[in-house]
Amino acid sequence: MYSWIWRHLPGPRAVRLIEALLLVAVVVAVLLFVVFPWLDPRLPFNAVTTG
Amino acid sequence: MSHVLTPPVGGSPPPHRRRDPVRTAIRGIGELILTAGLVALLFVFYEVYVTDWFSAQKQREATSQLDQDWHNGRGLVDRPIKGAGIAKLYIPAFGPDFVFTVLEGTDADILAAGPGHYQGTALPGQPGDFAVAGHRVGQGSPFNSLDLLSSCDSIVVETIDHWYVYRVLPLAGEAPGWPAGKGAQPQCRGVAPLPGRYSDVVGKTVVLPSQVDVIAPVPGHPGRAPTNRVITLTTCHPQFSASHRLIVHGVLVAEYPKVSGQRPTELTADA
Repeated sequence: MYSWIWRHLPGPRAVRLIEALLLVAVVVAVLLFVVFPWLDPRLPFNAVTTG
Repeated sequence: MSHVLTPPVGGSPPPHRRRDPVRTAIRGIGELILTAGLVALLFVFYEVYVTDWFSAQKQREATSQLDQDWHNGRGLVDRPIKGAGIAKLYIPAFGPDFVFTVLEGTDADILAAGPGHYQGTALPGQPGDFAVAGHRVGQGSPFNSLDLLSSCDSIVVETIDHWYVYRVLPLAGEAPGWPAGKGAQPQCRGVAPLPGRYSDVVGKTVVLPSQVDVIAPVPGHPGRAPTNRVITLTTCHPQFSASHRLIVHGVLVAEYPKVSGQRPTELTADA
């Protein structure tokens, strides 16, 4: 999977490295700001009220 | 490594890479599992730290809104608007900078901004039970250390015009010999096992989430008329779990009208 992505990134090695880091940043941002806030209330870790 | 590629001798370029479907599949599965592990770690990081940043921002907004309301003379009403800040909560045992704006209501989005006041329970200083829920882990975790409170620790509530000082009731097992024992300590002035219908109310309990009567006007006895002014704090228990609730009960021992620029001695002297 990762080698497939690496092979399909355009440009020389240095440019690919930057592109790969950007991809990671995008994935992390989507997880932190979209997926996890959606997931959080559906998980039982944070129920603090009675009833 | 047994499969080192030898440099090509002839003129034709070597195949780009060896295609072995089994190897590719196993590698793919391995990468997926590693990725899932990293995502799970990132989620822990999110729960414990990132939610704190989001909540700190919301708490700041709620606090500045409450300060503005107080500045404009808009104090507590009988039925505060859901989501509005109603009071500030100080627990000196958690440090001099422990202060949270308590908001009205206990919906998830309200609790993400700060401790939430159970709607319908007493307001600060009123007869009955001023009941507040707060997060233990993440989202500012205002009640992270609730289990560390001891009897007689003060819980100070500030409204537009009053300071209300509650103190944690004697813990289970401390009641026998209280007046000569811990009750003799100076910070315990005004704290004693409550009589009558309150006799089974102790400073700290762990209950099931279904036990809603801990926030009744007389905790544990829904429907009975309150004769005391108590505070109840609820959070999840144990940490990172929702199987139980940690409950702290306190009783009002002092109230002071607010004087500009002055803070009650409970916030300045002892813890």
